[in-house]
Amino acid sequence: MVKTERMHAGTAEPIPGFAWLIGVLAWFVPGLGHLMQKRWWRGLLMGGAVWLSFFIGLAMGGHMFDLNAPEGSSQYLQVPPMIANLGTGALYIISWLLSYGFADDPAQAARATYEYGNTFLLIAGLMNYLTMLDAFDIAVGRKP
Amino acid sequence: MMTLFAALASVVFGAMAKDTTQERVVYGFKVFAEFMVIGLVLAWVLYFIP
Repeated sequence: MVKTERMHAGTAEPIPGFAWLIGVLAWFVPGLGHLMQKRWWRGLLMGGAVWLSFFIGLAMGGHMFDLNAPEGSSQYLQVPPMIANLGTGALYIISWLLSYGFADDPAQAARATYEYGNTFLLIAGLMNYLTMLDAFDIAVGRKP
Repeated sequence: MMTLFAALASVVFGAMAKDTTQERVVYGFKVFAEFMVIGLVLAWVLYFIP
């Protein structure tokens, strides 16, 4: 019996493919991972917070980061904030494809809300990573 | 803006933590209060630092 218990403890249960799909979709469209699992309120609250934060950030004149470093700066310094921004999934990708929200010109930087906007955009991505992990945990069965 | 930031972040933290709805709501408000208090304290500390 002890041997059987040890064997059970040693083998981790495989994560179903559905959970990985939920994780990817939750990253790509904020809130979708919860909505697909019928966690309506949690999806609306968490996804809604990400969407709101993203659009408020853009409205404040914030800008997102990509690998194009401004003059006098290293490309590597762009990577950490880019990873944070990339958390918003499709919102980031669509903005990048449309070249919207990436301008970092002096006129925009002079706006009083510029830095606040940047922060809201960064936080939107980071919050969506948390939302994605929460949706994944629900799909795996680690959370109710 | 700080209040808005604290509200959005606490909604996410509150929704993903704890087990019951009541615990989540309480935790969300607690996180919101912590954001506000820490933000105000830091603002005053930085005000006196030249």
